[in-house]
Amino acid sequence: MSRSTPQFSRWVAAPVAALATVGLLAACSTPLASAEDTVIFAIKEDPTCLDPQQTSMTTALNIGRQVVDSLTDQNADTGEIVPWLAESFETNDDLTAFTFTLRDDVTFSDDTALTAEVVKANFDALAALGSAASLASQYLAGYEDTVVSDDSTLTVNFSTPNAQFLQGTSTMTLGLVAEASTAATAEERCQSVIGSGPFVYDSYVPNDSVVIVKRAGYDWASTLREHSGEALVSTIEFPIITENGVRTGGLESGEFDIIQDLPYADEARFDTDDFNLYSQANTGVPNSLIPNTSRPIVSDDAVRHAMLLGTDREEIKTLTGATNSEPPTSALTSSTTGFDSQADAMEYDPDAAMALLDDAGWIEGADGIREKDGVKLSVSVTAFYAQDVLETVQMQLKKIGIDLTLNMVTAGDFFGAIASGDYDFLGAALTRTDPDALRVLFSQAASSHWAIVDDAELESVLAEQATTADADARSALVEQAQELIIDNAYLIPTLETTQLHASVANVDGVAFDSASRIVLYDVRIAE
Amino acid sequence: MAPTPRDRLATIVRYLAPKLVQFAFVIWATYTVTFLLIHFLPGDPVLAALSLKGGDATTTDPAELAALRAQYGLDGSLWQQYLGHFVSALRGDLGVSIATGQPVTDMVARALPNTAAVAVLALLLGVVTAVIITFLAFVSPWRWLRQTLLQIPPLGVATPAFLSGLVLVSVFSFGLGWFPSSGSRNPLGVVLPAITLALPVGAIFFQVFSAAVLEAMTGPYVFTAVAKGLSTRTIFLRHVLRNSLLPSVTILGLLIGYLAGGTAVVETVFSRDGIGRITVDAVLARDTNVIQGVVIIVALVYSVVNLLVDLSYGLIDPRTRPTLGGRRGLSTRATAAREKAVVES
Repeated sequence: MSRSTPQFSRWVAAPVAALATVGLLAACSTPLASAEDTVIFAIKEDPTCLDPQQTSMTTALNIGRQVVDSLTDQNADTGEIVPWLAESFETNDDLTAFTFTLRDDVTFSDDTALTAEVVKANFDALAALGSAASLASQYLAGYEDTVVSDDSTLTVNFSTPNAQFLQGTSTMTLGLVAEASTAATAEERCQSVIGSGPFVYDSYVPNDSVVIVKRAGYDWASTLREHSGEALVSTIEFPIITENGVRTGGLESGEFDIIQDLPYADEARFDTDDFNLYSQANTGVPNSLIPNTSRPIVSDDAVRHAMLLGTDREEIKTLTGATNSEPPTSALTSSTTGFDSQADAMEYDPDAAMALLDDAGWIEGADGIREKDGVKLSVSVTAFYAQDVLETVQMQLKKIGIDLTLNMVTAGDFFGAIASGDYDFLGAALTRTDPDALRVLFSQAASSHWAIVDDAELESVLAEQATTADADARSALVEQAQELIIDNAYLIPTLETTQLHASVANVDGVAFDSASRIVLYDVRIAE
Repeated sequence: MAPTPRDRLATIVRYLAPKLVQFAFVIWATYTVTFLLIHFLPGDPVLAALSLKGGDATTTDPAELAALRAQYGLDGSLWQQYLGHFVSALRGDLGVSIATGQPVTDMVARALPNTAAVAVLALLLGVVTAVIITFLAFVSPWRWLRQTLLQIPPLGVATPAFLSGLVLVSVFSFGLGWFPSSGSRNPLGVVLPAITLALPVGAIFFQVFSAAVLEAMTGPYVFTAVAKGLSTRTIFLRHVLRNSLLPSVTILGLLIGYLAGGTAVVETVFSRDGIGRITVDAVLARDTNVIQGVVIIVALVYSVVNLLVDLSYGLIDPRTRPTLGGRRGLSTRATAAREKAVVES
């Protein structure tokens, strides 16, 4: 045939493209709508503080996301930072200055406009809140000032490079509130804040419920959402239902439309056509044993390695009923940007683990627990949640002759132990969207590091990734850090935590943001 | 000689003064013991409360912790803290919750009516049911029926409120849809938690009440009444009931104290805002100001109720009334007369 293929395809392609465009336009112009006006979303605990800048409690953030918008948004799948309230943004080479250009049509629910001055007031107030907003103070580490160039342009300056700040602006922690809220005290802000989001706080009765209502005239949703304009339902009620059985029973009987935190054990019951399940792995560092290598036994590389190899993560997943999650394969969870699998280095191998301990001189005693020079191979782990995970690890380690004592404490005592450095291992996960989570946890220079390790190489890699603007170069450093951490057994990962929620089948549009918090802007109920 | 008004006043003062002193002492002692308990517990209240809000981002920087400690009046020596908080409490200021930032008085004022609604309804249901069952046992002509009836209420104590609460929710909320499963938004929401609490409360009351009634049944005045041909109902209402009032009122006082602080379980199962929930949350977050505030309020309620119970003895049983003239003993004749009056009225 002599007819050229390109010619032919152009002939065919034109109408196809035209059709596709029409189809797309049609899809866009069919407005999403909800058959019901009110959504009832049962949450599992009192949010305590409604100010998303201060709190880092998931329950509170799941509500706060609907009320407070951010400068940027992050695509949960690709990790890409996209515009939201800031139309555009740029960074200087050494990551000490970030310039944002704001949209000019945004207002807060008290009808004040979003200006560069308001953004400056937000960051200044956050820096002043200090430990009352502990997560924000980590994102703003090294904060110097915000310089306002004109009404819609501002530059945030840092004294030291800050690689996580841009990603931080996509989180609620650095979400923007109205000037009136920035002037309020930390306590007042916990009761209610004024945001620019698609919903506004209507009422909050502690221990009972939170109600948010639709904001009229909202028109600045992030492009990551399904629609634009106002939210699709007019009211969302969040009754606070602490008892798991009442939450699941209420979902079954139709009293609730959506429930937060479906217990893993109930997953099978709700995995039917009558319900929708929503699950997403938390980002950051998975549930792990985090060592304090200044302790005598923990400082022994052979012991930590044996623990890494002697932990069967597949079994942990099965025994704790976390069927939706993947076993962790690195120091970062698989959903975190920059994740690099170290599966080979941490594959379950009890024989190798025992060989390591034998070589290091840990000999099995009469009770099955190893000993060396009269010292029992016994270490403790301090934790305040995920006891079932730790019990499984305890059982597994016993098989290779290591005695793991569980020290379950309250959250306050857990952080008390961190403050005083009084622990062998901590049992916890660290939720952060950015791979900088590794620096927060492992860098001895970080203000509240949990791991106590003495490793100059790791320290410098972690410090360098925090100041590297080039994405590829930074990603290589983050990979190197994960490799160093697993190779040296500075972390014994156990389980990737997933957020698991459920709704009745006619609910649609429940989405997760990049930090695994819920976005309800698109939520709607079908007939 | 007729008593002068002055004598009368003196008698009342003599009668009331020790009770009021006792009242004040109980409150002060409760406050002090709670203060000491909280402060000798291991752990840091500021860190504990912060961790509730901060999660894995909780600050552990000593300088910032010290600043927060000062802000919440938790700095200084034990004595300074004790006196400082005590003086504020006397002024009606219970401080600010470290975990939520709200004034403790506001939190208690918000939660107390919810708890009171459940407690009052539970008490009513429990007491009325206990009286009815006891009456049925009293009038029962057969021993086996009486024994069976008397065996039922202890089940109320044996069943944990957690279990009975969940069963009630499953049947009456999720199954039949008659009552809301949770929350205090709907006024009907008070019914299921009240029934749940009425079970143990009614059972405890029943134990004391039925014992008193059964004891009265064997008393000579019942025998006399029966001989006089009075109906069983009249005997029960006019003679037996009155004689079992004293132990019943005593146990009621205790039950009200228990309800004021012991509603934590039903408030958790039914997700209601209330004193019990606040207490549990505060203990978990080691929110010292809230724990202290709630304990004081509960101690106040408890002491007021006990004071009323004390005073009611005089109304129920004239033998316990204070006498004029300052003598402790009563004249034997008066006692005899009153005893007779009680028995035969």
